[in-house]
Amino acid sequence: MDHRKSTRFMLLVLSGVFAFLYIPISVLLALSFNEGGLPTAWTGFSVKWYGALFSNQDILGAALNTLIVAVVSTLMATALGTLLAIGVEIRRRKGRFLETIIFAPMIIPDIVLAIALLSFFSMLNVTMGLHTIIFSHVVFNLAFVCAVVRARLKNFDWSIVEASTDLGASILTTLRRIVLPVLMPAIVAGALLAFTLSVDEFIIAFFTAGAGRDSITLPMQIFAMIRFGVTPEINALSTIVMSVSLVALALSQRLNRGGLPGQ
Amino acid sequence: MSKPLLSLQNVEKQFGTFKAVDQVSIDINENEFFALLGASGSGKTTLLRMIAGFEDLTSGALLLDGDDISAVPAHRRPVNLMFQSYALFPHLTVARNIAYGLEMERLPRKEITARVDEILETIQLSHVAARKPDQLSGGQRQRVALARALVKRPRILLLDEPLGALDKKLRGEMQLELKRIQDEFKITFIVVTHDQEEALVMADRIAILKDGKLLQIGSPSEVYEHPNSRFSAEFIGVMNFLPVVRSGDGYQDRNGAAITATDRGVLGHGATLVAAVRPERMLLNPEPHLNQLTGRISALAYHGLDLQVHLETPSSPQPVMVRLTADAAEGLNLSIGDTLAVGWSAKDTRIFDA
Amino acid sequence: MTTIERRPEFLIAPALAWLTVFMVIPCLLILALAFFRRGTYGGVEYTFTLENLALVFDPLYAGIFLKSATIAGTSAMIAAVIGYMAAYAIVSMPKRTQPALLFFAVLPFWSNYLVRTYAWIVLLNREGLITGIARWMGYEGELPRLLYTEGAVVIGLVYNYLPFVILACYAPLSRLNPEISEASRDLGATGWTTFRRVILPMTVTGIATGFVFVFVLSIGNFVTPALLGGGQFQMIGNLVYAQFLTANDWPFGAALSMILIAIMMGLLTIQTFATERASGARHGTD
Repeated sequence: MDHRKSTRFMLLVLSGVFAFLYIPISVLLALSFNEGGLPTAWTGFSVKWYGALFSNQDILGAALNTLIVAVVSTLMATALGTLLAIGVEIRRRKGRFLETIIFAPMIIPDIVLAIALLSFFSMLNVTMGLHTIIFSHVVFNLAFVCAVVRARLKNFDWSIVEASTDLGASILTTLRRIVLPVLMPAIVAGALLAFTLSVDEFIIAFFTAGAGRDSITLPMQIFAMIRFGVTPEINALSTIVMSVSLVALALSQRLNRGGLPGQ
Repeated sequence: MSKPLLSLQNVEKQFGTFKAVDQVSIDINENEFFALLGASGSGKTTLLRMIAGFEDLTSGALLLDGDDISAVPAHRRPVNLMFQSYALFPHLTVARNIAYGLEMERLPRKEITARVDEILETIQLSHVAARKPDQLSGGQRQRVALARALVKRPRILLLDEPLGALDKKLRGEMQLELKRIQDEFKITFIVVTHDQEEALVMADRIAILKDGKLLQIGSPSEVYEHPNSRFSAEFIGVMNFLPVVRSGDGYQDRNGAAITATDRGVLGHGATLVAAVRPERMLLNPEPHLNQLTGRISALAYHGLDLQVHLETPSSPQPVMVRLTADAAEGLNLSIGDTLAVGWSAKDTRIFDA
Repeated sequence: MTTIERRPEFLIAPALAWLTVFMVIPCLLILALAFFRRGTYGGVEYTFTLENLALVFDPLYAGIFLKSATIAGTSAMIAAVIGYMAAYAIVSMPKRTQPALLFFAVLPFWSNYLVRTYAWIVLLNREGLITGIARWMGYEGELPRLLYTEGAVVIGLVYNYLPFVILACYAPLSRLNPEISEASRDLGATGWTTFRRVILPMTVTGIATGFVFVFVLSIGNFVTPALLGGGQFQMIGNLVYAQFLTANDWPFGAALSMILIAIMMGLLTIQTFATERASGARHGTD
């Protein structure tokens, strides 16, 4: 009796929490298909707000910038982060210093890293633009790729590396034909995660983008639009951005089967 | 005696302050089935990994056909290793796993296919050629690992606990299978094992290692019948040890009974000594000239072909084990609590330092 | 042993170099910047000074610190309580369904922060959904303002960081051996006593981790106060933002962000100590 009562209470807690987590974004999603665009009245299903997005040059430009930043920084971070993960796991004695540096990009508050990079770039007189956003995004992206790949390496059978060497393969051949293919699901999962993070990242991009309109990314565009209030276009844009992240994340999860990073 | 195929000369391996392998010298001949036997931490696996090229020698030399190979990197040595974990590549099929080493030699495609097919036939796994390792049984995986190393036709095949992961019944079959394959391929095998029975059954010669040192080297019957130390005697087979003291020309056990041994059997000359005798050398109804002891039966274990009797005796702090053939035991109607006298001859007695 | 195994540094070096150039050096730069004078026309004058740090403790900014700490503390507390309850509820569900529940609890965390914050603007604004529902239910009077209040900021912060707390609390709760609480009950404790004296002490580390992270992320946040607070009040994050992008007083901005880092390090250190003590005590009774 007691037990059943507590189970019912737990279900109630869970429903409450899930409602709290999902109602706001669901409302957003629903409204983006509302013909009238107003939150207070449903006037019929329509994709016209999505159509409006595709004729908005600012948004298209920002989307293209975001794509460039995300793809380039993901590729660079995947290469660096994967090598880092393998290197760190091969090294038997693990330095606390090294661990701290690798972990730091994940815990430093964004605002601190953002102003640090801004100061750094301007002190060196680097013209800021998409390239500085990319350099900055690689910092946290490589940390996340490294974390995902390392998680996979925890139950990696290192004897297959020796087996490959024993069968006559040089270390580069072993890396190319054995280590990378075996790690590939984790590497792709890490890359997808990095891609999501980069697509969504706002603060660091905001500080390292430089002045001009040329290097505005989608989150920067959204931030600017939100400050003017609620519009049906933002609802549609938000829905698209959210879907991209969640699809990439779901794929990453599926490939990795190890759960979300940190889990 | 012809020149040895592989010669380990004063090989040493130091990990920090720990000496994993200490001044080991062994010659291994062409076509020999050689076993490195020892408990964990004896240095046997380190020795194997040094031969494979995965560990450097701290000092000493490693000669293959008279040439020092200790500086040759692992992937250039004509030596292959079958890993304890099998280390099959999880993303490649059975056939691709086996082909891998041949591809590294840049052999023509056709030859690779032919050799892979041939060896798959030999190990009777042609029907699983297209499967991935995780779709195989333990025994199948073991044979794929063996084939992958064998197909390269190495001068020496190293096997690290090759049967360790198999269940007992399969292990028995595979012991004979490994011998058959070794015979068929005419390749020198070096097996690392902690299982003395496995070493006795398979090997032509056995090296017993302890704490990085080589204790004894010899054929299975030599190490079984003529162990050169208490450790070897204890490690291989079952042995009874009776504490003894010197008494005139011979020895005396705790109960005051005289124990004699032949000159050849005296291997210990220190202050505290033990007399050792194998359970199957113990005889019933001993004649007066034999070494003997009397005890109370504390346990009986029937093993089909033989009967193991545990005797509690003032001659030994531990129960003495006696192994009687089923024939000999028949009709005696032994039961726990009975008193039994057993004897053994001087030539079956070894004297070791305790 | 192969070369790569002997020299894994070759694999580590490229990433380490990247992190050094684009993280370590910039952060050290900020540290240094905090001790330089502000130039007359913005910019930085390279003379040593403690003025920036002194300014941080000026009563003028004490109010902002207090407000930031209050909002961050309230958010962290609420998130910790809800997050712990949610994690506890997930753990009490059948083992098979737990991974899926956890996955969906954490999923929103990986969607865009701005979008998640914007969703609350949609709900809370004057023509928003909540007002709409109130009207629909026949409420005619004047509704209190929902958006651009401290409450809205707290809701936004809790909403954004709750998944993290659930994750942090789930870890110790899921490791808990169910027999331990059964043992406690067997020894005569009621359900509530068992929870308070056994389960809570063994899993408090998750709450602590969650609290610290929400607190640190909130106190340095400038997006949520800007969007849901509507610029009605400032938090440390906004102050840092302003020094760099509008007031052009970089040394002061650097000093402020050092304070942020100091708060984070301080809390993390306390938490690490607490965790070690807690786990030490646990090992003692194992």
